[in-house]
Amino acid sequence: MLRYILKRLAMLIPVLFGVTIVSFSLLQIVPGDPAVLLAGEDANPEFIEAIRKEYGFDQPLHVQYLRFISHAVQGDFGVSIRNREPVVNLLMQRFAFTVQLSFLSILIAAFIGLVAGVISATRQYSIFDNLSMVGALFGISMPIFWLGLLLMLVFSVHLGWFPAGGSGELRHLVLPAIALGAASAAVIARMTRASMLEVVRQDYIRTARANGLKEWVVIYKHALKNAMIPVITVFGLEFGYMLGGAVLTETVFSLPGVGRLMVEGIFQRDYAVVQGSMILVAATFVFVNLVTDIAYALFDPKIRYE
Amino acid sequence: MKRWSLFAALLMVAFLAITPSPSQAQTVTYAAGADPDSLDPANAESNPSEAVNRMIFENLVKFDPKLNLVPGLAEKWEQAKDGMSWTFFLRKGVKFHDGTPFNAEAAKYFFDRMIGPEKPSRAGLYAPLVESATVVDEFTVKVNMKAPFAFLLNNIAHSASGIISPTAHKAMGKDIARKPVGTGPFKFVEWVHGDHLTLTRNDDYWGGKPKLDKIVIKTIKEDSARVMMLQSGDAHLAVRLPAEDIPRLQKDNKIQLDATETLRVLYIGFNCGKKPFNDERVRQAFNLATDRESIVGNIYQGRALVASNIVAPLTTGYFPLPAYPHDPEKAKKLLSDAGYPNGLKARFMSPQGRYPKDFEMAQALQQQWKRAGIDVTLETMEWAAYLAATRKPLDQTDVEVFLLGWAPSSAEARWILYPLYGTDQWVPKGNNRLFYSNKQFDDYVDKLTKASDRAERDKNLKLAQELLYKEVPQLPVLVTKETIGYSKKLKGVINSPLELTYFDQNTTLEK
Repeated sequence: MLRYILKRLAMLIPVLFGVTIVSFSLLQIVPGDPAVLLAGEDANPEFIEAIRKEYGFDQPLHVQYLRFISHAVQGDFGVSIRNREPVVNLLMQRFAFTVQLSFLSILIAAFIGLVAGVISATRQYSIFDNLSMVGALFGISMPIFWLGLLLMLVFSVHLGWFPAGGSGELRHLVLPAIALGAASAAVIARMTRASMLEVVRQDYIRTARANGLKEWVVIYKHALKNAMIPVITVFGLEFGYMLGGAVLTETVFSLPGVGRLMVEGIFQRDYAVVQGSMILVAATFVFVNLVTDIAYALFDPKIRYE
Repeated sequence: MKRWSLFAALLMVAFLAITPSPSQAQTVTYAAGADPDSLDPANAESNPSEAVNRMIFENLVKFDPKLNLVPGLAEKWEQAKDGMSWTFFLRKGVKFHDGTPFNAEAAKYFFDRMIGPEKPSRAGLYAPLVESATVVDEFTVKVNMKAPFAFLLNNIAHSASGIISPTAHKAMGKDIARKPVGTGPFKFVEWVHGDHLTLTRNDDYWGGKPKLDKIVIKTIKEDSARVMMLQSGDAHLAVRLPAEDIPRLQKDNKIQLDATETLRVLYIGFNCGKKPFNDERVRQAFNLATDRESIVGNIYQGRALVASNIVAPLTTGYFPLPAYPHDPEKAKKLLSDAGYPNGLKARFMSPQGRYPKDFEMAQALQQQWKRAGIDVTLETMEWAAYLAATRKPLDQTDVEVFLLGWAPSSAEARWILYPLYGTDQWVPKGNNRLFYSNKQFDDYVDKLTKASDRAERDKNLKLAQELLYKEVPQLPVLVTKETIGYSKKLKGVINSPLELTYFDQNTTLEK
């Protein structure tokens, strides 16, 4: 098991290396000059020159890339051209926030998704099943920014229960977590339902019932546990996307997460910030996948990594 | 089952551990549209930074809300007869937030920094003009000029000229941009990039103890989110309100709206270095085909002013010029005279979302020009690419007609006339994206710059503006208005025509 984990972690190195090359090249292809942009409409030519020198934009591309890589392996991702803050600090601030939001969203999504999925599967074609599947379709189809604005309008502007934007307290996270978790809840509900329907028709479930076990023990202990493998896959993917930054949710609710950092970095041609956040997001995704694979073994002892 | 409950429990603990505890302080919340870039006034390049800096720092000379020049850290000043020096008599008993006393040494330090080897990004306000600054006595500083300059006081009142603590700057160097120390009514507390910035009351402020305890400036990029925060009371003030939401906000009796006329003119620029735009008749044809009244009335719903001068009315040195007529028939005739009897095709570039309703305005212009036989293909691109595209030198550019805005941050007309039209200011060196060049015009600008006599200055300002009015290297279309909204409990908000919204010691929040 440990060897397997180490092997997977070692895979990170080529992945991250690839990410740096792709992100660096893409940033060079996009038109726009960071120094000109920083200087604005009433640019001062001397200032533009000074910025180019200071950040090394006047150097040949391979020199810029090699310098970036040699600093990056030492944990230095440079400073933001926008506010001179070291990128590592920005990433840590933003990532801590994204982790909070993602945890809350995935908890909400998992709770709603599992409950709705299990009930739908056990009462197939009932009113509840139909309603929750329509709800799931709605959850998947709704654009996040629309749902976010609607939640704000109802719960902040009209009812005044939650703040409309900003961050800092748990109550700031409630609406964004719901908006972000809605689609995941829907996917998890559908996946749970499908997987459960398959499992409850297996022989061992009939055997368990024949043995006189209580229905909830049959469902939650025997059926659900075995139905979890595909659900965990979805869970891992959804969580990975969330940790990679939920740009739309963060924008609508003005939250300081990684996604917005990266997107604003792109608009501002803040190369160091974009590269740093791409690396972080890629590493997170690989890591979440690894945790997902380990979780398989927790639920299904038949799965072993040797 | 046990293992996975443990897993879930661990997740919960991890989650709770990183959730910060709530704060209870009484504060004013200000919803800004973007994060500041630098809190070092001399290096700040954006309005959100300047608005914050206006609360932390003070200038020797200040703008009042109508942009008149009034005493700031200098109580009075005088200019030498020959215009070669200025003497500033400083306010006594002023301290920086770090306890450093404000005196002639501190003022000299400011000028030395601006003209010295550090070269902050706004050094251009002083380096070409000021020879040196000398301490006359503890509270008197003398600024010696390289040549007379008519608008020095405007540069001194510019946001970039906030006086920083010499002690702090010596200790921190460039890091002062993240931990600013000034003399203003509010002190810096913290800045969490992309999220919020906190200021607190400066109890030792020379102008009396400020009435607000604490100011939290939140970065709320999304327009509709700012509006909702204002409506829900999560923000006491929101800037850059989108035009669509204004009618709705007007009906909200808890909210005060304030539309201030700015110094920003949105204009249509021509590449005057290229055929057919080097022909004045072609540019005039565009001008006659443009219906400004309709744009201001229909697209801006009156939240803009029709312009015929690139200098906006509240700018120092503005001269009123007659409105341009709208006459598509005459436009056709001019085009025909210029050798285009069957009309003209051209590329027209516009940003989208940089200025209020910019792209909608561009679309309307496209329709209006069509009626005069001018067929433009409208292109838009994202801002960084747009700026880069309009900064290429004449031999590389493919720009023909473009939309841009300009506002002089020193609130005087020279900041428009020289950088936008000076022959030695062609992009990429300066900001003359029009490739306009006129010896007579350059001469007017030179004279008005060096004038030490007010009448001489004003005469040349007028001549320069009249020349642009006649030659139309660009079409001024309208002057923008900046609409902010705030809680009616908040009194004494300053919404400056410089597109800066800020508070001072007299701003109060009623219970």
